[in-house]
Amino acid sequence: MKFKKLAALGMAAVMTFSLTACGEGGGNSGSSSSDVNANSGTADNTAAGSTADSGAAADSGSADAAGGVPTIDQINVGEDYKDLTASIKVLTNRTDIVDTVYKGYAEEFMQLYPNITVEYEGITDYEESVTLRLTAGDWGDIMFIPTSVAKNELSTYFMPLGDYNTLDPVYNFIEEKTFENVVYGIANGGTASGIAYNKKVWADAGITEMPKTPEEFLDDLQLIKDNTDAVPLYTNFAAGWTMGAWDAYTDCAATGDPDFKNNMPHMSNPFAKRDDMTGPYAVYYILYESVARGLVEDDPASTDWESSKGAINRGEYATMVLGSWCVEQFKEAGENPDDIGYMPFPISVNGQQYAGSGGNYSFGINVDASDENKIASLLYMKWLIEESTIYLDEGSIPARKDGEYPSVLEAFDGVTLLSNSPAPEGEEDLFDNVNNESEVGINNNDYPDCEILEAALYGSRTLDEIMDEWNQKWTAAQESLGVEVNQ
Amino acid sequence: MGKEKTAGAKSDKTFGEWFRSRKVQKFLVIFTFMFVPLFLLLMFTYIPFGKMVQFSFYNMKYIGKRSFVGLKNYVEVFNRPEIFKSLLVSLYYMGGAVIQLALALFFATLMVFKVKGESFFKATMFFPYLISGIAIGFIFKFFYARGYVLDSIVALFGVAEENIPYWLQDTKINNISLAATSVWRYTGQNMILFLGAMMSVDANLYEAASLDGANKWHQFKYIILPSIKSIVVLNLILSISGSLSAFEPPYVITNGTMGTGTYFVIMNRLAHENQKVGLASAMAIVLLAIIILCTVAQKLFFAYVFDDGTDDESKAAVRRRKKQAKKNQGAVERGSSHEKEKYQTVIV
Repeated sequence: MKFKKLAALGMAAVMTFSLTACGEGGGNSGSSSSDVNANSGTADNTAAGSTADSGAAADSGSADAAGGVPTIDQINVGEDYKDLTASIKVLTNRTDIVDTVYKGYAEEFMQLYPNITVEYEGITDYEESVTLRLTAGDWGDIMFIPTSVAKNELSTYFMPLGDYNTLDPVYNFIEEKTFENVVYGIANGGTASGIAYNKKVWADAGITEMPKTPEEFLDDLQLIKDNTDAVPLYTNFAAGWTMGAWDAYTDCAATGDPDFKNNMPHMSNPFAKRDDMTGPYAVYYILYESVARGLVEDDPASTDWESSKGAINRGEYATMVLGSWCVEQFKEAGENPDDIGYMPFPISVNGQQYAGSGGNYSFGINVDASDENKIASLLYMKWLIEESTIYLDEGSIPARKDGEYPSVLEAFDGVTLLSNSPAPEGEEDLFDNVNNESEVGINNNDYPDCEILEAALYGSRTLDEIMDEWNQKWTAAQESLGVEVNQ
Repeated sequence: MGKEKTAGAKSDKTFGEWFRSRKVQKFLVIFTFMFVPLFLLLMFTYIPFGKMVQFSFYNMKYIGKRSFVGLKNYVEVFNRPEIFKSLLVSLYYMGGAVIQLALALFFATLMVFKVKGESFFKATMFFPYLISGIAIGFIFKFFYARGYVLDSIVALFGVAEENIPYWLQDTKINNISLAATSVWRYTGQNMILFLGAMMSVDANLYEAASLDGANKWHQFKYIILPSIKSIVVLNLILSISGSLSAFEPPYVITNGTMGTGTYFVIMNRLAHENQKVGLASAMAIVLLAIIILCTVAQKLFFAYVFDDGTDDESKAAVRRRKKQAKKNQGAVERGSSHEKEKYQTVIV
């Protein structure tokens, strides 16, 4: 009797304690107990004895001199902090190569810094999972900053990497993660927006010159349909994000104006048709018309992204509208890597073609991490974007401005590469706000693009009707947010 | 120990004695055992739910500032045509639920009367329920894809390729295709539940019934169905509320495009793609209200049609009997009044 009671009590106690233990264990696991003296390093910039709360430092807006953590331009990989001991965790969306290629980078780095342990965690459904984990704070040390973090929120979650004016001459695409002149993230290379195609199929169809306008492009697709067995344009509709990819051409590539995206929240009817067939309308016109004219696959609802890579490599599909990052994957997917080409988007503004180039996901470092973890993260990040072979492997535009462009972009001769200029002060999140409020969802919601294809497929609505609706939604969002509209 | 207890009842107890007393021990045991499940329940069900109710009154994203907007989100839910249109899509899943129950009842009845290879059939039918919904989505994505499994099977029967419909693209049938996947998934599970209930029916009843000349259909109608009525009703309620919140098939297979977006898919899109978390929370609360309404309505309906499954006669049968009795009585009364009239005419 007595024993039973005791046992019951004991059990309950154990259960209770194990619960609390769980909670605590989870809470601390991120900040590994590395007993390091971070400030003993050789770096000249380390302010002595500072264990200042880096969160507070970030809030004050001053990038450098944030406690004992240097900025990215001040740190020398391979020389500084050789005796730093830390263990950092890096989150990535590339679950396909996290245990192979990325692990290889980490091991290479750990040979250089034997005391720093770098561990990768691959996350499927990256955007959503990471957004939720961000709010909890304890997610690791380096992550790809999800697009859901608006610019004015960057300082809440990520540590400052340096001053915009200092870093801008060195790195590409940093304006995407810059707020009030402080840089919070550096893009993991970038891509240029164009169209992937199978050179052989296009040549077989009798096309010698690359299209420069929407109509030329559609005519070429028609030629491919008439003269070859290939699907002229594979939409990859079922994957969803592949439809959202069309949004990427609406700013620089379609207008030649690096400020277009910044002006868009102030424009009335940005989706209206323009007489010279430029602007967002022209991009969606290509999508709508190619579906309406039967130049896409027979069954958009049952497409498959993974197998489409091999099919374009074999020449079964002629064209896919995706960022240049896809080229490496198409090349690796079959036996004809040399057939894969990449062309600029067929819109010309006053006879000149433009291509938007933008950063991939940006690396950001947890503002709540310990100082030694921050320094270790900085070292790894700088090593990765400057010294590893990551951009060669992924075929993307390197993070450093003086890096070499990948060979796929050779076809972009005579095309002006542009990237969106940083938003004017005080309007850093204006585009995101109008975009979300309107639910047009440029670059973040695939569904409106899917609707264009559906309308063309069923013939239920014309493109003009859809664009009118988008304009109305855009206007309504401008009104409800009280944005000033320039006529 | 017994001595201590009786002695302690009157005299002043030390803390140790009080602590060891039966009452306190009982309370402690109850408390400590209840603590874990209650804690988990609160932590993972009620607190998140409370949070969601709170969110539904805010204009908010997952991260960033939140502003209180009162009932604005709810007003918007009712003003958006696409939200309630998506509830119509649920009708396909409700239809699927009815078919699924009928199939499950049919197969369960077959298995109750001895069949060869019973456990093999049971296992194969139950198997789909064990696969995760996402995996099922991917299976059927290929199953329905142009030129894949289903098309090849249909072609075997000599249907020309151009006559085979686009299972996922044709808006007339794509919702039926999707609802069929959920029928495939849950039929086996329903069948096992029915079978469990049917096992509890006394086998002698079948023998007695067949001696009385009842065939299998009679046995099903008069013995099996009345005995498992409550579990049928339970399954129906679960399936109907399940079809209101259908999510996995449209999300995985068609991503809610081509007119297959159910309420949940639209909610998910608003919350995650457009970052309108407040609005999506309000949608969730509205759906909860709708599900509660549906459940209550069904309960009332079945309480009216059936009884609780303990009476020999169903309520409908009772009603029929009463109606019949009334009719007979009415006929008698009418008959007598006729007589009266006759008398009166005679008198006049």
